[in-house]
Amino acid sequence: MRLEVLTLALIVGAFTWAFRYLPTRADISRLPQGGPLARFLAATGPAAIATLFTASVVPFVQGGMPLPLGLGSIAVLAVFGATRSVVGATMAGSAAYGLGVWLLPPG
Amino acid sequence: MQTERSSNLADGLIAGAPIVLGYFPIAFAFGVAATGHGLTGWEAFGLSVIVYAGAAQFLALALVTSGAPVLVSAFTLVAMNLRHVLYGPALMKRAGPVATRRHAWAWAFGLTDEVFGAALGQLARGRQFSEPFMFGLGLAAYASWLSGTALGAYAGGGALQGWPVLEAALGFMLPALFLSLLLSILNRTQLPVIAVAAVATVGVTLLWSGTAGILAGMIAGAIAGVIGLGGRDAA
Repeated sequence: MRLEVLTLALIVGAFTWAFRYLPTRADISRLPQGGPLARFLAATGPAAIATLFTASVVPFVQGGMPLPLGLGSIAVLAVFGATRSVVGATMAGSAAYGLGVWLLPPG
Repeated sequence: MQTERSSNLADGLIAGAPIVLGYFPIAFAFGVAATGHGLTGWEAFGLSVIVYAGAAQFLALALVTSGAPVLVSAFTLVAMNLRHVLYGPALMKRAGPVATRRHAWAWAFGLTDEVFGAALGQLARGRQFSEPFMFGLGLAAYASWLSGTALGAYAGGGALQGWPVLEAALGFMLPALFLSLLLSILNRTQLPVIAVAAVATVGVTLLWSGTAGILAGMIAGAIAGVIGLGGRDAA
């Protein structure tokens, strides 16, 4: 392993671990219910996942593949709605997206 | 709804199944891309073992092969991973005041975007927080990430070139996983927060960069929660 790659991995890995671990030590037990910080933390989860979904979809939208993207998203919604299974919905979405790509005319 | 018994390691491993399925093809694609960019198999695997952050690893490939100085690359990648500081407090808040964190130094290593989302989804559905559960969840995801990387690196650059439909389907696995996780924690009161986060992400991504868009989306959504758009008593 080249020294530059190892150095980069160690620096980034150490900071990433610190970002993930150190905030778990924050004492949030005395936060007043419904206070601003409590609301901030409650909103962080949905905001983060919505952000990551949006950020992961933007390149697909920019790539101009509305049929596969639509099929994939609808499959996730439909399968999750029917089964409440994250596994099933993820697999169905991926398969439907692939199907959409396959159905697109080449070129 | 889950039962109220304490969750153990096996529960975490089982709950990690969606992440295993989502991570493996992406890690495989990373291994293929890394060797395609001129990294050795061990370098690709080492990045996955030590960094363990998918988006940052893909960006690392571009930075390493472009010849960017190590410190500049490190600063860029560290900034990209800054979003993770939000996850620990949000998770512990959801877990409740009795949640232990004695071994958080170990399980928090695996607190990736998807592990955080899956843990939150499980807690939202009634699962009790426990450190063994977090270990199980993280271990399943980490094992999938490492094995996918190893197999991709072994297959070598260009392994998926003859399979464009499969490559496309694997490429949509991550958005599909995020959408599924979002649905699993969705409730009506948080819809404005989700809308604000999505709009901020798209706007800042188009105007500036994808990394800035991610940070902006998370912060804008959380601020929307502070000003009461996510319900006054959201927990």
